[in-house]
Amino acid sequence: MEGKVVFTVFSRESSAGARPRYVSYEVPYRSGMTVLDGLLYIKERIDHTLAIRYSCRMGICGSCGMKVNGLPRLACFTQVSELGRSIKVEPLPNHPLVRDLVTDFSTFFAKHKSVKPWLIRKDVEEQENPTGQYLQSDAELERYIQFSYCISCGLCYSACPVVTALPEFPGPQALAWLYRFYADSRDHGGRERLEILDRATGIWRCHFAGSCSQVCPKGVDPALAIQLLRRALIRG
Amino acid sequence: MLVPVRYSVERWSYTLQRVTGVVVTLYFVLHVIETGNFVGGPTVWYVPPYEFAKAYYEEVKEFLHNPIFDVGLVVIGWMVAFHAINGIRLTLAHFGITLGRPSRVEPDSPPKSFSTLQRAIFWSSIALAVFAAVYSLNALMGVFAR
Amino acid sequence: MSERRLMLLHYVTGLGILVTGAVHLWVVFFTVPLDQTIWETTMLFDGHQFAIMSVYRNALLASTLWLLLVFTTFHAMNGIRVILMELIPNERVMRVAKWALIALGVFLVVYGTRTILIAYNIR
Repeated sequence: MEGKVVFTVFSRESSAGARPRYVSYEVPYRSGMTVLDGLLYIKERIDHTLAIRYSCRMGICGSCGMKVNGLPRLACFTQVSELGRSIKVEPLPNHPLVRDLVTDFSTFFAKHKSVKPWLIRKDVEEQENPTGQYLQSDAELERYIQFSYCISCGLCYSACPVVTALPEFPGPQALAWLYRFYADSRDHGGRERLEILDRATGIWRCHFAGSCSQVCPKGVDPALAIQLLRRALIRG
Repeated sequence: MLVPVRYSVERWSYTLQRVTGVVVTLYFVLHVIETGNFVGGPTVWYVPPYEFAKAYYEEVKEFLHNPIFDVGLVVIGWMVAFHAINGIRLTLAHFGITLGRPSRVEPDSPPKSFSTLQRAIFWSSIALAVFAAVYSLNALMGVFAR
Repeated sequence: MSERRLMLLHYVTGLGILVTGAVHLWVVFFTVPLDQTIWETTMLFDGHQFAIMSVYRNALLASTLWLLLVFTTFHAMNGIRVILMELIPNERVMRVAKWALIALGVFLVVYGTRTILIAYNIR
């Protein structure tokens, strides 16, 4: 694949009343180019005002989530070669827009915090000054390790059809984190964790549309975590 | 949002389950009212049911017994079967059954929650719904077995 | 009722509908010979009653049909409630919708029960 790639980029000023528009840029293709590389080329050579958020450029920090050709993806983790000549880039849905491709994650992180994403221990003194090691077996580790890969990039949250309709829903990311700690053998949260979810706008609103697991760049599978959480809640 | 072109079949099942649920609910309400009217409607309390029923039957048969309503009922048949079988799939999934177990992530492996069994039940719900539609087409209009 | 009870009942009634609904479909469709339409069998009117009504003189079938009515009413009303809750996250709308759905549900059960009773009693 050689030649030019056309990037159609969503653009909206941060000032109130600014109208959104789509701007097209032509970017020369080079082998191994990611969507983020293309956007950085635009920012450096064509349009310095383009606002994007990124950091590590290697799929670890989770900053550069955006909607690329209709699906939420990490711009740094998406090869231009898998998308073709014409690429449409928009900000993540379900997150409030700041400007251009930058979205506001404060609600997202508030929900993340609301599920107590830390180990809850009854022996606080032991937690502060541990007297020994807390070993886990392979089986214990495998119950939660998958969900601990989450980088909080917010892709699942913007793919979730329930969050779109019902803003109070915690979203796949928060629920997957909740399960990650619930399933941890060192955690004493138990019922206390489950009761966070047991409300009308809580876990019962998940209808297993599976979009979260489809878009997750780290293979976390939040849909699985939510169903296992619901099973724990029903059986508990 | 309602037509998830780029998403997996689970998302389609979510949309279809809602749409079929609403349509079947409408059908259910009309069905209860219509059968109630067939056995005498509101007049049953003061006239013997049969006289009213006969008049109503003629009226309704004339109104309902035409291809448009029959095709509508065939669509309802499709929807009932789909909603039922897909509902079994969703109930199983919501109770954590038939899903894969959490494990270490392997690159490019599909999510564990999209298990083969789950997908199989989804596709069989579509297949069974088509069968139900064909069967009801026959039962309503007698297309095939004549 | 708590959300948890309602949603658990949603699953339970769903499974109940599968069983009682299968009986209902069997009565209406599968007893019909393949070369006849339901207008010639189930819906046949002899000037006195419908063919289907004699089937429901059986107490077991009539009570199964009544269970189907109750299960479907709850399942449908709760389903509409869930959809409305997610479409219109507004507490005032939901309070009105809740009572409207309860009223519709009560009407459906009462009117449907009457139909089944008439079918059951008729000679």
